[in-house]
Amino acid sequence: MKELIKKLVECIGPSGFEHIVRDVIKDEIAPFVDEMHVDALGNLIARKGTRKESGLRVMLSAHMDEIGIIATHIDENGFVRFTTVGGVFPRNCPGGRVRFMNGAQGVIGTERAESADKAYTIEQLFIDVGASSRTDCPVKVGDVAAFDRPMLDLGNRLVAKAMDDRISVAAQIETLRRLKDTPHEVYFVFSVQEEVGLRGATTAAYGVDPDVGIAVDITMTGDTPRGTKMEVALGKGPAIKVRDGRMLSDPRLVKLMVEAAEKAGIPYQMEVLEGGTTDASVIQLTRAGVPSGCVSIPCRYVHSPSEMVDIRDVEHAVRLLLEILSNPILL
Amino acid sequence: MMEITPFLKKLLSLPGLSAYETPVREAIAETWRPLVDELEVSRVGSLHGLRRGVAPEPRPRLLLAAHMDAVGLMVSGMIDGFLRITEVGGVDDRILPGQLVTVHGRRDLPGVIVQPPDFLLPPDQRGKPVRREFLLVDVGLTPDEVGKLVRTGDLVSFAQQPFELPGDALVGHSLDNRASVGALTVCLDELQHMSCDWDVWAVATAQEEETFLGAYTSPFDLRPDMALVVDVTHAKGPGSNDYRTFGLGKGVVLGWGANIHPGLYKAVKELAERLEVPFQIEAMSRHSGTDAYAIQVTAEGIPCMVLSIPLRYMHTPVELVSLKDIYRTGHLLAEFIARLKPDFMQKITWEEPS
Repeated sequence: MKELIKKLVECIGPSGFEHIVRDVIKDEIAPFVDEMHVDALGNLIARKGTRKESGLRVMLSAHMDEIGIIATHIDENGFVRFTTVGGVFPRNCPGGRVRFMNGAQGVIGTERAESADKAYTIEQLFIDVGASSRTDCPVKVGDVAAFDRPMLDLGNRLVAKAMDDRISVAAQIETLRRLKDTPHEVYFVFSVQEEVGLRGATTAAYGVDPDVGIAVDITMTGDTPRGTKMEVALGKGPAIKVRDGRMLSDPRLVKLMVEAAEKAGIPYQMEVLEGGTTDASVIQLTRAGVPSGCVSIPCRYVHSPSEMVDIRDVEHAVRLLLEILSNPILL
Repeated sequence: MMEITPFLKKLLSLPGLSAYETPVREAIAETWRPLVDELEVSRVGSLHGLRRGVAPEPRPRLLLAAHMDAVGLMVSGMIDGFLRITEVGGVDDRILPGQLVTVHGRRDLPGVIVQPPDFLLPPDQRGKPVRREFLLVDVGLTPDEVGKLVRTGDLVSFAQQPFELPGDALVGHSLDNRASVGALTVCLDELQHMSCDWDVWAVATAQEEETFLGAYTSPFDLRPDMALVVDVTHAKGPGSNDYRTFGLGKGVVLGWGANIHPGLYKAVKELAERLEVPFQIEAMSRHSGTDAYAIQVTAEGIPCMVLSIPLRYMHTPVELVSLKDIYRTGHLLAEFIARLKPDFMQKITWEEPS
């Protein structure tokens, strides 16, 4: 699965500009799906399985987009000013490299610091693409870029930009491929624009009209020095979300996930995340309401250009999803 | 007239935190069953009770909504057998230390919320309310026993039992918003002796304190022509006496603002005047802070009105209301509903602004 992960995380796909990622996913899943289409917002929606008597219409959602930047101004010397697409932290930017959709690359520079102990604001940063004037700058206002880093393979631990949420895209692709026998009509949604307000999943869920919704996304961890106070750790299995900043998982679904993990002997953790949310929060609010939950993959350094996951957690997340989808879902 | 206090005390003795409303929903269903023609539970846990009207089909439909979920706490981690906590809904952290709670683990465990002694805190933290991240729940068991009985994500609810104070005050946790569920129940009871043209869907909504989940989803399902939402608002009390607060026991509070349909507001207000039901007016500049905010924009849009019951000490385990306000709210709702004519919606059109 490492090869697939590498292929996915090294694509550029900030919110609203997911087509490169979408094309990769399409190629990967085409032989395994019963049907697929791209909806009006750009979500890739693939169906596998038909609904049997004990089955439901289940929607899974992993978002294709990543955080990035958009050029707002090119100065006369060819420096690119920019603003963020999604939750980019200025503290993670200086020295970072970016790649624009058109292939142009650059490095993020900083203005002279006002004082050593004050963090930069995004307005104090610029991108140097190696140009010397506005006219020879390969970037135009409105051009979009993502962080540019090759994936780092540390054995069980993998580091890359856009692990949020390509690691879950990889898990969903793997689940889709391995899913053999299901009583459900399963819709694998690869959603757009999660990082700018969960916009893709909002419409995908309305369109699919599922009986149950499960987001697959990353979650933060509390296992780094003097970090966030949180129980989730890397390498201890997928996290079953109980709550996050914007939703409470359906308790029946939490129970079902815990029982599925116990039954199949899959390691798991309980997730209580105090900030941030996933596609599940908007799936839940769709139409007359959709019982929803989330299988999370623990991830360190979220929204930095070096997000770290443990490949064993990904494997176990796939196994957990397969276990859930292969059996009746009784709420 | 129905005696509402025993029913309310029963509701206030149950947990029913957001997303985990089952215990309180079952208690409400039991009381509503003889008062409605149909009862159902929505896909996300709201309770729907239909009281059928008598006008010919297609009958207009009224949504009468009050949320039943309560704020509380959740286990977010463990340190040496003590439990770290986060909130479900919004809890006033300042009042947490010393509270008795129930930890809903593999079995219910009594516990108490504790804070580090002041003299052991870092100097810049002394003499101030302790932030929630430093508060812990002590259930009196060894770390091993706690590990077996409790896990991250378990609920923690206030163990405060309801009680009456002299006068007509009722005190307890989750009077926000079970006081309003009480008002809906008074209304349904009064309607037993009245004939109504409209269908009335009495709905106890889920998860208002978190995401307005019930308020977004139930009206999508039921497609009412309009909605009356009942919630609580801040009552005047110690240290809260300005324009943002309302007299306790001084009557139902009528909401006014962009979240409210002016025609519907006018109709409710005129009836309150005519029946000499005391009322107060709350200006809601934007978000009413109630289910109405979600209901208004559901499906093709739903005209809303908000009626609030004044309540002191919101989001603490000792919320306090006047029973009189609950009865009056229920009474006004019943009188309003009984007078609704099938063509009411045509009378509150935007072409004739009030």
